[in-house]
Amino acid sequence: MFVQRRTKGGIFAAAVVAAAALVASALPAHAETGVTSSTIKLGVTLPLTGAAAPGYNKIPAAMKAYFDYVNANGGVNGRQIKLVVKDDAYSPSQTLSVTNDLILKDKVFALVGTLGTANNEATTRLVNSQGVPRLFVNTGFSGFADMKKYPTTFPLFPSYATEAKIMGKYLSDNFAGHKVALIYQDDDFGMDALKGFSTAGTTFVAKIPYAALSQADPSVIGKWVTSIVASGADTVVMFGVTSATGALAGGLYKAGLIGKVQLILGSVGSDGTTLKGLLGPLAPALAGSIAASFLPSPSDATDEYITQFKAINTQYNAGATFDNNVLVGMNTAMMTVQALRAAGMSPTRASLIKAIETKGSTWASAAFSPLLYSAKSHVGYTGYWFGKLGLDGNAVSVDGPGKYTLYTTDSGSGAVVKAAAARPAMPAKGLPKN
Amino acid sequence: MKHKSPIRRLAILLFIGALLIAASGRVDQLRAYQGAQVAIFAIAISAIVLLTGYSGQISLGHGALMAVGGYAAVLSRTHWNIPYPLSFIIGSAVAGVFGFLLGIAAARLKGPYLAGTTLALAVGLPSLANQFHVLGGEQGLTFDAGNVPSWLGSDFSQYRWFFVVTVIAAIAVFWLLRNLLSTRYGRRWRAIRSNPTAAALAGINVGRAKVLAFTLSSTVAGLAGSLFAMLLGLVAPLAFTLTLSFTLVTGAVLAGVSNLGGSIVGAVVLVSIPELSNAAASHFGGSDKVTANLPGVITSVLLIATVLFIPNGPKMPKLSRQ
Repeated sequence: MFVQRRTKGGIFAAAVVAAAALVASALPAHAETGVTSSTIKLGVTLPLTGAAAPGYNKIPAAMKAYFDYVNANGGVNGRQIKLVVKDDAYSPSQTLSVTNDLILKDKVFALVGTLGTANNEATTRLVNSQGVPRLFVNTGFSGFADMKKYPTTFPLFPSYATEAKIMGKYLSDNFAGHKVALIYQDDDFGMDALKGFSTAGTTFVAKIPYAALSQADPSVIGKWVTSIVASGADTVVMFGVTSATGALAGGLYKAGLIGKVQLILGSVGSDGTTLKGLLGPLAPALAGSIAASFLPSPSDATDEYITQFKAINTQYNAGATFDNNVLVGMNTAMMTVQALRAAGMSPTRASLIKAIETKGSTWASAAFSPLLYSAKSHVGYTGYWFGKLGLDGNAVSVDGPGKYTLYTTDSGSGAVVKAAAARPAMPAKGLPKN
Repeated sequence: MKHKSPIRRLAILLFIGALLIAASGRVDQLRAYQGAQVAIFAIAISAIVLLTGYSGQISLGHGALMAVGGYAAVLSRTHWNIPYPLSFIIGSAVAGVFGFLLGIAAARLKGPYLAGTTLALAVGLPSLANQFHVLGGEQGLTFDAGNVPSWLGSDFSQYRWFFVVTVIAAIAVFWLLRNLLSTRYGRRWRAIRSNPTAAALAGINVGRAKVLAFTLSSTVAGLAGSLFAMLLGLVAPLAFTLTLSFTLVTGAVLAGVSNLGGSIVGAVVLVSIPELSNAAASHFGGSDKVTANLPGVITSVLLIATVLFIPNGPKMPKLSRQ
């Protein structure tokens, strides 16, 4: 009897141990969505097809190239980064559909570099309800820094209002007494800019609005030129997209005004590679124009970030031309790697967000601008430098090659501060060790 | 074929609706979202079926009419703080009034001229949002559909709730349209589509009947637009592009144009194409560029094949009646 009871007890104990082991193996220390012991899955949405695709469609390959490079060098805390790319054709309804896929089906850990203002707006309810971190969104809309409305979202780029305020300061410092005309896109993009210029107290002899995409109409360009001539302006600020800058250059050339008016271009409308493609042999007509930027010029061979990214691009991106889009993709990917490293050995969505809020402002990034991340702010870059376009279409700092003067401010009424640019050094071999 | 009474039709539709809503509890959130998409597309396609299949008028601009409904719903909800089901009614009504005015012009136009006019609408109208500050510009206006009613419990996901709302709306639309089409209005529209001259000689006021069809079709499209705004959580010019208008026409062609029940088939096909192409791409491999362009290719091929081989669309014996 006694023996039999002992056996029963033994079987019971063994059963309890086995059951406990089963439960334990089924629940591996509460793994976070999208994170396994060997991988971290991220997602990005952007236009790969449709009218908005040219240029932007180079970004995901550049991001993947950088992640592949990091993966080949051991990954992030031993985990390989996987990037799931989804095309949204720049339509917010498609963005929501494919983001549903990313979050509910592919079960990504976080979204990274998602592109477009309305596109990000459309996924906000989903992102907020699921608590998915949305890092380094690719848009200049200042609203995304609102931590109450977008608690898990981190913008990276400076806002359009910031840019206009800084341009206003640059104009009053360097073009006092000049007659300045402004051409701007007549939508939110331009409205943000008008707000910034009015805060800066900039006065224009002519303000010329144009409807988005109307720059393709030659009669519209004719009107711009007539308005410029009628106003007697000697300086023209172009706050539009790159195709509008191209059209303006063509118009000024036809009217024989090249060299007679000084052009000042916003960061959205001054991509050298795109302008070269648009203008062909006319491209040198833009030489001498002043352009605002926050990233270094992709052609600056003396810049340590550019040379390192270029090397990675050659090795991992199948010979893609290194331009601003590749730079944006790699820079976003490098910020992401630092965020994932800082999120700890067992990263969670909460620890990722906390990592950016507490440490994000110190990370290495190519832009000549501080990052304003903190527990109280999700604002990314805040500053611009000014460059002169050369005959090759690339901007060189107005203070001479490699010397950058940085103008920083906020999207509100804060003052514009001028300082020598300083940024963290590129980590050795482009591999963050934060 | 024997006529079903409106009550019997309602009973059948309500039964199907109840089944769908019960089934929605057994699928994940992603399927619930796709179900809501199907319901919205089915409503929008039925608007085109009503217009093209019955009154013989072509519209390439129903995406723009959806935009009118969507913006009206959002603005009325934001500025007057009304319950959102009421904002759907306002969205539909505003689109209806808009469609009435458009219909007056449309009734004088035929074939390619009408197609051109509505195409211009699809291109031009959504970008109006950039001209007036109240319309929110490029980033659009958000639509706050609030939370899931608390009596449904905390497990009831938002997408499942949207699915329920859209299915109820779709049932209402299908029931009303089905009944309307078996009245003298439906017969008049079919007479006009077959032969406008003969219809006029038979005493039908062709112009008036066409305007009525356009008004009604716009109202239905406006409802689809309002529901679309709820599902997206916003309205923005980019949400109502030319592509949307063309997608709807494609759906209508796949549905068989003159087949109300077929709109559901068309909607299911439109929603499942990206899913199928994704599965195909991951099965056969291929670059991102191929994957990105595959849905467009599949849609175009389906459209051409339908027109070539089954111009009247797939047969739905139970639901369709010519």
